[in-house]
Amino acid sequence: MEHSAIFRQALRPPPSPIHTSLTTVSTMAQALPPTGGYEPIQYKRNIPARGFRPSYYLAAMGIIMTYGLYRAGQGIREHNELAREKMWSRIHLIPMLQAEEDRDLVRRQWADKVRERELTGGEAKVYNSDRFVRPTYSISPSKTTKE
Amino acid sequence: MSTRQPRFNQQVLLDTTPLPDSVPRVTEVGASSAPLLSASFFIGARCGAYNDDYMKCKEDAHGRGEIDCMKEGRKVTRCAASVLDDINKNCLEEFRKHWQCLDNNNQQLWHCRRPEQLLNKCVFDKLGLEKKIPGVPDNETPVHLRKRQIFSHNISSIREDERQT
Repeated sequence: MEHSAIFRQALRPPPSPIHTSLTTVSTMAQALPPTGGYEPIQYKRNIPARGFRPSYYLAAMGIIMTYGLYRAGQGIREHNELAREKMWSRIHLIPMLQAEEDRDLVRRQWADKVRERELTGGEAKVYNSDRFVRPTYSISPSKTTKE
Repeated sequence: MSTRQPRFNQQVLLDTTPLPDSVPRVTEVGASSAPLLSASFFIGARCGAYNDDYMKCKEDAHGRGEIDCMKEGRKVTRCAASVLDDINKNCLEEFRKHWQCLDNNNQQLWHCRRPEQLLNKCVFDKLGLEKKIPGVPDNETPVHLRKRQIFSHNISSIREDERQT
């Protein structure tokens, strides 16, 4: 840095003689500040500040937020309890509904087997397992509506 | 309920063939969702053992539960039907009010606390079945016993004098 500054100073051309003569000769009258200085400029607006102190607003916001979060927390806790209640009501009902559906599925499967035996004279074992397989397709009996 | 939804059903497939005579007859419960929801905790209170037995049987049967656990299933259905029957006999008024309230309020229990508490009281007095929600934190009142329901749009608790009598 230092080197380059020195280098630039060395390259600058010498001051021209005309310039030096002009600055020394001119004696123009200049406007000067009044004695004692200028009047102070009123850059502030002289209006009284409205409302409360800012710290009061901050405190009020803090109180409102605290209360709101407290109520939200209460709501969330109650919501959890309601969810628990709903869950247990279904837990109590599921075995009954499942039993009903299973009975219906077994009834249909046994009816299908009887129908198959009557039609083909035997039972084709579809799966190499004795698990109960829920039917994807149902064979429709000849009578498709109730009386 | 079924885990596999029916596909390619172009007509209603009704199969009216009954179960063979070797299987004992059971009358199905036949209640719709609102009465079932209303009575669910009483069903749980009386039939909890049968329910657990049936679910355990199905779990242990390794895929043959539908056929092997029919006996347990019959017990479950009979027990649930007996509960509904008893409620109908003893607390019909309260029961109806509660499940109709549930039907009118999107089946959300917290809108119907007043009818529910009246029903709970009647069922407890006459049948001795109590609604208990398992797993409620110890320091909290169970949600169905609270005086105020935050999310409810109904005035939803019974008064103290009603609670006592």
